[in-house]
Amino acid sequence: MRNIGGKELSRTSESREIRSIEEINEKIERGDAVVLTAEEMIKLVESSGVEVAAKEVDVVTSGTFGAMCSSGAFLNFGHADPPIKMTKCWLNDVPLYKGLAAVDGYLGATALSETRGFEYGGGHVIEDLVAGKEIELRAESYGTDCYPRRHVETVISIDDLNQAVLLNPRNCYQRYDAATNSTDRVIYTYMGTLLPNYGNITFSGAGQLNPLCKDWNYETIGIGTRIFLGGGVGYVIGEGTQHSPKKGFGTLMVRGDLKQMESQYLRGGVFHRYGVTLYVGVGIPIPIINEGVASTAALRDDEIFVDIRDYGVPTRPDLRPVVKHVSYAELRSGKVAVGEKDVPSSSLSSYKAAREISEVLKRWILEGKLLLTKPVEPLPTQREFRPLKIEKKELRVGDAMRTEVVTAKPDDDVRDVARKLVQRGIDHLPVVDEGKKLIGIVTSWDLARAIANDKRKLADIMTKRVITALENESIDVVARRMAQHNISGVPVVDASNLVTGIITTDDISKKLIEGGRTTV
Amino acid sequence: MRVRLIYSYQVVEKPILADIILKTGLAINILEAKVNAQKGELVVSIPIAGRELEKILAMFKEAGVEVQKFTKTLQIDYESCVSCGACISPCPTRALSFGPEWTLEFDEEKCVACRICVDACPVKAIEAQL
Repeated sequence: MRNIGGKELSRTSESREIRSIEEINEKIERGDAVVLTAEEMIKLVESSGVEVAAKEVDVVTSGTFGAMCSSGAFLNFGHADPPIKMTKCWLNDVPLYKGLAAVDGYLGATALSETRGFEYGGGHVIEDLVAGKEIELRAESYGTDCYPRRHVETVISIDDLNQAVLLNPRNCYQRYDAATNSTDRVIYTYMGTLLPNYGNITFSGAGQLNPLCKDWNYETIGIGTRIFLGGGVGYVIGEGTQHSPKKGFGTLMVRGDLKQMESQYLRGGVFHRYGVTLYVGVGIPIPIINEGVASTAALRDDEIFVDIRDYGVPTRPDLRPVVKHVSYAELRSGKVAVGEKDVPSSSLSSYKAAREISEVLKRWILEGKLLLTKPVEPLPTQREFRPLKIEKKELRVGDAMRTEVVTAKPDDDVRDVARKLVQRGIDHLPVVDEGKKLIGIVTSWDLARAIANDKRKLADIMTKRVITALENESIDVVARRMAQHNISGVPVVDASNLVTGIITTDDISKKLIEGGRTTV
Repeated sequence: MRVRLIYSYQVVEKPILADIILKTGLAINILEAKVNAQKGELVVSIPIAGRELEKILAMFKEAGVEVQKFTKTLQIDYESCVSCGACISPCPTRALSFGPEWTLEFDEEKCVACRICVDACPVKAIEAQL
C-alpha cells in the first residue's frame, strides 16, 4: 500500500506523459473526454488497476467544502459625490481593511461585527453579498482637498459594486491534523467543540476528494489552474500561505469573481467562542497526464494519514502533543480507538458538499463549460512552514512566582493553619506530604468556612484536585487557566509534583506593571 | 419517556426523586444533573408511558418539582445545514449521526436537549425547542 502522509511517493516510470492538457481540451470540445469524480476513479482503479485507469480516464474531479479562515474579498465601491477617501469602512458593522486606495477595501472572513460579535462577521457578509442581499455600507474619513467628504452611509448589494473579487490567501489544505482534548473541561476551538478527557475527535478536509491529495506531487496544479470556486469559475494564483509541501501540507491561494458565485458554496460560519469564518467550496480538475497522477488521483481515505493532536495543551500548533497517527478512513468511520476506548470522531468540513462539488465540476467539463489549463508556474515543492521568531524573552511562571512557599501538612490543625495564613498575609496554602509532594490546597476562604463549621483536620477540608502551573509555562497560559477555574493562585510544581513556588494573580499583575506586558 | 425536572430552592434539598423511586420501585435513570444550593435541574428517563407515566409526573408536581416533557427537543433546519458533522462527535448521547449519503440524521429518542450541538453548529441550523 502507498503510504501517504509520512513517506514520499515513488516517482519512477510513472512520470511518462500519457496525454497533454491540449489533447484533453480537444476531447472536451469534441464531447468525448472521459471525466470521473475522485470516488469513481478510486472504484475504477480498484477494479481495473492504475495502468488501465490512466489510459482510459482524461480528468478526475476533486472537491472540498470546509471552513477556510484565510479567505476574503477585494471590493470596489465606486465614488460618491462629493467623493470620500474611506479610511474606515464597515459592511453590516463588520470592519474592512482600508489601507488601500479611496474606495477599495478588503473584507476578511474572520472580521467580527462590531455590534453582533461572534454571531456575524466577514464570512457572513460575503455569503449575504453573494445571496444578493442588501448590505449597509458605512465609511469615515478625515477629508482632503480632492476627497472632501468625511462620512457616508448607504445600502448596497453586489450588483452595485464595480469589482467583488474573492481572494483567499490560504485554501484547500492538502491534509489537516485532527483534534482532541486531554483536559478535564470542554474547550472551544477552531476545530470545534472538544469534550473533556478525550471525549471526541474532530477533523477537517475531504481526504480522498481533497484537491491537493489527488495531485499529491503538484504535477498538474499551479499558477493559472482553472477551478470551481464558490460555485463559479476561479483560478489558483499560487501557493497558499503556510504552504508546506515537504510535509504533505500544501495549500493554495485562489481568486474568483464573487458576482458569479453561489451562496450555497460560500457560507459564513461560527465556531463557538472562537470566532467567525467562511466555508468555501473548491473543486479542482486533475488532468491524468501520466500514471503517477492517475495513481494519486485514486488515493483512498485509508491511505491518507494525519496526526490527532491534543488541543488541551495551549502550545504552538506543531508542538501540540500527538495522540495518534490515523487515516481519514478511520476518522470518517465515526470512531477512533485511542488507548482502551473508542472515541467518537466527526468532521468539520462537509463530505456531502465536497462530493457534490466534484459532481458539478465533472458536469461542467462534460458540458464543455470548463476547459483545463496548463499552469504558468508549478507550486513550490521545497518550502517549509516555520514558526514565528520571538526575540524578546517571554514572561514565564518562573519569572513571577514566589519561591518562599508556606506549606502545611494534612494532619495540621485548621486553627494553627489559619493563624499561619494571617501572620504571613497570604491566601493560598499548598498541602504537602512527607516527601514534600503536593497533595492538596487550602485558601483563606476554605479555612474560614471550616472554622465556622467546626472542622479540625486540614485533610478533611483541603481541595484535593489542585490546579497547578509549571515554571516554564507562559504567564498568559497560566493567567487564562486561573480565570477559567475562577481561582486567584496556583502552586508551581516540578515534574515529580514537588512544590517549587506559588503564583497568584497579584504576583502576575505586579510583574506586568514593573516589566511591561508579557515580555521582560 | 425523558423529562426534565426543575427543582426550585424551596425543594432542592429534599430527596424527592429517591422517594418516588422507593415508592414506585421504578428504575428512573438520571441522564443529566445540575444541582446547586439554589436550584436543581435533572434530565431523567422514566421507563413507562401513558397514564402510569402521568401518575409519576403528578407525584413530582405535588412535591413541588416543575416537569417538562421532551417531545420535540431539536429543530434542524435542513435548508441551512451543510452536513459538515461539527455537531456529531460532541453529542454526548449519539443522537446525531451521518446517514448513508453523508447527510446529518437526528434520533429524537436519544436526545437529552443538552444543547451542545446548538453551539457547535457553525451555520446555526439547530434550534433547541425547550
